[in-house]
This record gives sequence, structure tokens and C-alpha cells, in this order.
Amino acid sequence: MTTAVEFSSVSRHFGAPDRLVKAVDQVDLVIEEGSFFAMLGPSGSGKTTCLRLISGFELPSAGEIRIFGENCSDVPPNRRNVNTVFQDYALFPHMTVRDNVAYGLMVKGIDRRTRRSRADDMLALVKLEGFGDRKPAQLSGGQRQRVALARALVNEPRVLLLDEPLGALDLKLREAMQDELKSLQKRLGITFVFVTHDQGEALSMADRVAVFNQGKVAQVGSPSDIYERPATRFVADFVGSSNVLPPDLTRAFGGPAEWASLRPEALRLVASAGARVTGRVTALRYLGAGTRVALESYGQELAVLAPAGSALPETGAEVGLDWDAKSLHMMAGA
Amino acid sequence: MGSAASPLQTGLAERLTALFWRRPRVLLALLLAPPLLWLGLVYVGSLAALLWQSFYSIDEFSGVVKQEFTLKTFGELLLPQNYDIILRTVSMAAAVTLASVILAFPVAFFAARFANGRWKAVFYLGIMLPLWSSYLVKVYAWKLILAKEGIITWAANGIGAGSVLDAVLTTPVIGGNSLSTSYLGTFLVFVYVWLPYMILPMQASLERVPTSMLEASADLGAGGLRTLWSVTLPLALPGVIAGSIFTFSLTLGDYIIPQIIGNSASFIGMAVYQLQGTAGNIPLAAAFAVIPILIMLVYLAIARRLGAFDAL
Amino acid sequence: MRSDRPPLLLTFGAIGGLLFLHLPILLIFLYAFTTEEKSFAFPPPGLTTEWFGVAWNRADIWPPLWLSLKVAAISSGLAIILGTLCAAAMSRARFFGRDTISLLVILPIALPGIITGMSLRSAFAMADIPFSTLTIVLGHATFCIVIVYNNAVARFRRLGTSLSEASADLGATTFQTFRHVILPNLGTALLAGAMLAFALSFDEVIVTTFTAGQQKTMPIWMLDELVRPRQRPVTNVVAIVVFAATFLPILAAYYLTGGGEETAGGGK
Repeated sequence: MTTAVEFSSVSRHFGAPDRLVKAVDQVDLVIEEGSFFAMLGPSGSGKTTCLRLISGFELPSAGEIRIFGENCSDVPPNRRNVNTVFQDYALFPHMTVRDNVAYGLMVKGIDRRTRRSRADDMLALVKLEGFGDRKPAQLSGGQRQRVALARALVNEPRVLLLDEPLGALDLKLREAMQDELKSLQKRLGITFVFVTHDQGEALSMADRVAVFNQGKVAQVGSPSDIYERPATRFVADFVGSSNVLPPDLTRAFGGPAEWASLRPEALRLVASAGARVTGRVTALRYLGAGTRVALESYGQELAVLAPAGSALPETGAEVGLDWDAKSLHMMAGA
Repeated sequence: MGSAASPLQTGLAERLTALFWRRPRVLLALLLAPPLLWLGLVYVGSLAALLWQSFYSIDEFSGVVKQEFTLKTFGELLLPQNYDIILRTVSMAAAVTLASVILAFPVAFFAARFANGRWKAVFYLGIMLPLWSSYLVKVYAWKLILAKEGIITWAANGIGAGSVLDAVLTTPVIGGNSLSTSYLGTFLVFVYVWLPYMILPMQASLERVPTSMLEASADLGAGGLRTLWSVTLPLALPGVIAGSIFTFSLTLGDYIIPQIIGNSASFIGMAVYQLQGTAGNIPLAAAFAVIPILIMLVYLAIARRLGAFDAL
Repeated sequence: MRSDRPPLLLTFGAIGGLLFLHLPILLIFLYAFTTEEKSFAFPPPGLTTEWFGVAWNRADIWPPLWLSLKVAAISSGLAIILGTLCAAAMSRARFFGRDTISLLVILPIALPGIITGMSLRSAFAMADIPFSTLTIVLGHATFCIVIVYNNAVARFRRLGTSLSEASADLGATTFQTFRHVILPNLGTALLAGAMLAFALSFDEVIVTTFTAGQQKTMPIWMLDELVRPRQRPVTNVVAIVVFAATFLPILAAYYLTGGGEETAGGGK
């Protein structure tokens, strides 16, 4: 497999030397060609800056970025075979939808007729046939998103960057677009790199996920790696709000004296008598697909996801916990 | 569109794009160079020339400018007849500013709080149009209004208030032969011409006063006037100060209005104009022109302290 | 409170204030039709349209009108270029000296016109520059820059950086981005700025009296007539023309900037 994008100890610093902000700090990253790669993290974690380093809107303060093996530190954004779907779509308000989509061809000097037919092909690809003569202001949010997608794809980029592409859409539309983006990526075979702060989105769409924290990559792996085998407390906590156990509690749960994570859905409620670990219920939260039971055990807050239909304890009740030993996952210290 | 570009042109455009991308400061410098060169040479250069000239003096006998540095010309400003001019101008600027605040408040308050939809546009244009429309035409209009045979005299006689007008005109200091040859007339025209400059910043700062704050005051049992005095006015103060910068500065430097409407007593602007023109005394004219700069610098320093620049 | 009924006194004060601002100008129109040419008698003894014809045939009116139009056109043209360049630079980045530059741009209208005028006069005197159309333009363009600058800077701010980035991302050079993306979106703001600059220049008298020497612009012609009147109604006819030459561009600027959100204050 070819490497599409590669970061070698890339840093990006902002501000004066005395008050340096390390937006991206010594990041190493490999994005394989044809993969659907997610950069996940809270705001300010450096994921968007990494995306802008690939598109060329930011220059690395140190390190090297290679796109298909070529060091691109001397290549301006307009010469990179990479296109972006912007968070606010950034459609040109004074142009029609067709002219927006054809823009990338126009600046290359391609003739009007070819431009027109290629733009219409792209609009068909994103299911917007017949919308070519409208202005962006006449479209809904979802439609604008598709125009932005068509416009970014018209130049046949080898890497497509998506900056929080679904952030502005409502829940139902977002889910539909997730499926659509995924199938589009499979069909075109282009490398997709997308930035999100929504862990559900990252896990459901991506082949590989990089979790960012404070300018560093905390973990890179497949969605199941990230979810089931978080490398750090941060990843465990940020991806699906796992129970993070300090070393002494891990011992009580039958593990070695190390930090560990335990998914709420991996815990089962049992009778307190004879249970290996017990706790007192502090709150119940109904989630539809189940109920999240918060309880206190060894002075520590724990969460249990009780499946829908199971018997629920009262608040204040003493309950026992059961789990499979293999669901207890050890993490590297920090 | 872009298809006609020759390869040579394209190559240059590409190279420059890459340069601007790697060195954004180069583009910044290229953008800034022409305007800075213009403002630096034409404007700052001229201001420097003004200051320079004010340190020259004029030979009393030959009337020729002596090109050596001296504080003599600035000393002349303290002569009674010149000192009077400065005092008169500053008093007028202060009176005009005060009157503008009083007249502007209801318009600004209404526009900021009560005008909606169509009325908002009416108020907006109603303030913007007089602000921008011809200064000279506005002054001329008042020449017509204040003339002895003009509309004010006619209206005063019409409602039987002719004697009131006469009484006002015989009042010492502000009165005169007719309104158009009195301080009162000069004052009225100044207020009229600069009033929009007070309304706009005042309205802007009043719009920033949260309605909830006024309601809170009403809830606490403060009456309408009380709310106005102790809540609204203090909050509008930055706008008032911003507006007063305009009314004060514009009055300080104007020489057309007192020349056309007034009793021929001199103001700073008139002195500058006459000295540089017929009298040919550019050094003294320049020294006079430095006075408004100094006054405004002090004024701006105070305004900055009071946070008025946020309302500009 | 916005929906409350305003107190009666306030309503009267507000409407009174607006009338105070507008009524005097209407009188100019009325006096252009009066039959009395020696004084400003009110009410006019009779009405006539003859002054429009008289004004048309007065040879001394045309040269000042052309000069004013020429100066206003050149000055606003220069102001568009210089103001836009400055706004583009200022909207790009924070850099050292940024506040100084914005102060420098605003200063020519923040300080009284007489200072700008006297400064230029001093400079011309020191450098032995004879008065000409160019000396008038030097002054006018200087205070017009800020008008265009204010309009352009507001539009740049609203445009943000993402459109330019999208353009570069799609392969456009800096120049293509400027021509195809920035200029079309800046257009109306620039036009509005140019209109206001034109109005300001056409009407300017204070700075001009210092930089014109013996030349007469339209406002200087009017000023002469105010000081030494002859055929007063003709002055009124000219005043109407001057008023229209400033009023119409302002109205156009208002609509060009979508209800004037960007023109507000204009920094005049």
C-alpha cells in the first residue's frame, strides 16, 4: 500500500517566543492511500491545524510533511493535489452552483464547454442534477454541503480533506450524509481525511482514527482499537466515556496495579450478595437504548450501561458488579 | 476567462503566488507601500511642514519670512487680540458641544430604543443624509433663515413674538443687528451642521445598552426619569464623548460659518485663513493651526481614558 | 422596552430633531423660485422658474463645475486604489504598527480640515509648488482614502478568509483569487466608498481654499457668492445642483451596502 500523507515530527507553533502556543507538537502520522482517515479530538487539540498543514494553509514550524512521497514544504496550496471541503463550505456567493463547482477547472484554463459538462457530472454524483443555475443562498444546508463536496472533487484530488463536514447539519441529515460520504469514498477510492470532534462519527465512518490531545497524537488505530483498547486515560475518557480505573481499583477488579479502562456496557448489574465488587447507586439516566446507572464504589464514580428491558435498581440501593476479565483493558500510565 | 493567459504570465503568477505564500510579509509590504507612501509624503510631510513653519517668524518691516528657528511666533499667540481669538473659539466649541448633546439625545434614544422596521430606516437615512450632504448648502440655508427679512423674523412677527426676538437680539454678547450677524446665529449654525456627528455615536452606544438593564432598573422601582439619569445616561457616555470629539474638533477648525454668519469677530480658523492669505504671515497662521492640534490631542487622551474609542 | 410606547416628550424631541435637520434644506429649493433677487424676503413675493435659465447661461458657473467634477473623479479614483490596498493589508494579519497605520488613515478627517489645508499650504510654500489642479487633488485624495478604506475594511471583515482559501485550494493563484473571488464580492462596497468619496470631494471647501490658489471649484464659487452676492436665486439653483451631486451618491451608497450597515458613520 502507498502512503498518501506522512507527517515526520511536525510541529506548528503560534505566537511570540516567550508565549509560544504549540498547536501541533511533534506529530508523526501515516495516512495510507485509499483510506478513510479521521482526526478526532476536542477543540484546540491540533486536529484542524494538522488538516491545514496538509492543505498548505499552515506551514510547519518544524518537521516535514510528504504527500505521496513528495516533500511539500515548498508547494503552495494551489499546486497541491489536495482539495478541501470547508467547515462553513466557503461557497462563492456571487457564482451559480455550476460556476462554483467548475471553479477549479476555470482557474486551470479549461474551456467553457468541458467545464460545464464536468461540473454537471459532479453535481449528478452528489445528486444535485438541475441545481446548477441556482445561487448558493437558494440552497439548504445539506445541499450546500453537497456543492462543496462536488467542487472539491472536480479537480480529481488524490486526497480530500473534510473539516467538520457534517457539523452544521441536523441529526437526521447528518446520519444520511455519513452513509453517503462513506459509500462515495469507497466508490471513488480517494483518500479521505476528515476532522471531527464527534467520536461517534469518527468510529462509524473511518477505517483509521487518530485521537488528538493538546497538540499531540494520543493514539492511532482502527475504530475498534481506539474504542476497546484505548492507549491512554484521555482516549478512554474521550472516546465513549469509559470507566477509568486507578491502579488500586484495577486491583480490586482483579487486574495488576495499573491504570485500566472498563466500558460501561461491559459491566453487568448482579445481586450484591457474593459479588466480587459492590457499589451504591447514585443516579439513573434513561438513554432510550438503555439506562446509564451511576454508582459509587471504593470512593470512585463508575458507570454501568444496563440494556433496555433489564431490571433497574433504585437510587441508593447496594448492587453487585460482574464483568468478563478480557474487557478490563490496561493502559500506559498517563 | 483565465484561458487566455500566456504561459509566461502564468509562470510569473505562479511564482509570485508561491512567494506570497511562503513570505506573507512580502505581500503585506506590497499592499501597504502605496497608501503609506502617499499618506507619509503628502500628509505627514505636510504636517511636519506646518510645524516647521510655525517656528519661523516674519520680519515686521519687510514682511518677508525669516527662515530661522524662533519661539517668537508662538509668543505672538499670547498677545491679547490673539489670545481672545483662542478663548472665543474654545468657548464656542464647548457651547456647541453641550447643545448638540442635549438636542441629539432624544433623536439617538428614540432611534436606538423605539424605532423598528421602516422607522429604523427612516431614522438612519434621516441622520445620514444631513451628515453627508453638502456642507456649504447647509450653511447657505441658514443664511436665508437668519436674514433680517428671513423666515424667522417673519414667523416671530406672525405669532406676535417679534418683541421677544428683538429682546433676544439686544441681549449683550449673544445679540446683534440681526440673527445672521450675531454670536447666537453662529452658534445655531454650528449646532445644526455638526449635530449628526453627535447623534450617530450616541445612538451606537445606546443600542449597546442591554434592554434588560433598563428593565432591571424599572423593577427596582426607579421611575422613568430616574432610570434615564442614573442608568441610561452613564451608559451612553462613551458615545457622548466620541460625538463630542467631532463637534469640538470641527468647531475649533471651522472658518466658513463665522465668516458668513456672525459679527465678524475672529475665530482660530478665520485667523489662519486670513494670515496665510491676505496677510501673507504663514508662520503665525501655522502657529495658530497648531493650537487645535494640541487641544485635540489633550481631548483625545482624556477620551481614551474614559473608553470612548469603543463607541467610534 | 423596544415594543413599549415611547414617552410623548421623547417622540416630540426625536421628530423635532429630525425636522430641525431637514427643513432648512427645503428652503434652498423654495428660494430658487423667488422673484426677489436682492434679499431673502420671506415669504417670497412671487414664484418664477427663470433663474434656472439664467444660471444655465451664466458663463462663470461652468468652469468651476467642470473643475469640481474633475477633481472629485480623480480623487475618488486615487482613493479607491489606495484605500483598498490599505484595507486589504489591514484585514490580512495583525502586525507591528497596525494601530499607527489605522490612526494615520483616519487622521486627515479626525483633525479639523483647516489643519490639513494649512499643512498642505505650508508644504507647498516650502517646496515652491505652484497651485494647480494637482495641488487640489493631493488634498482631496488624502481625506478620501479613509472613506473607501472604511467601506472596504468592513466588507473584508465580513468576507473572512475562507473564500480566498477555498479559491487557493482549488488551484487559483493570488491574482486569480483577487479577480474572480475578492473583487466581485468587494465591488459594491468599493462603489459605495467611491460614491461617498466623490460626494465629499465635490463638496469640500475648507481644505480646497488653501490648495486652490486662484482656481475656483464649485464650492469656492458658492462661497464667493455668499460673501458678495449677486443674483441670489442663481446661487440657490447652483446650491440645488451641488446638493444633488452629494445627495444622490449618498443614497446610492446606502442601497449598495444593503441598508448601510457598512456605511454607518462612514467616519466622515
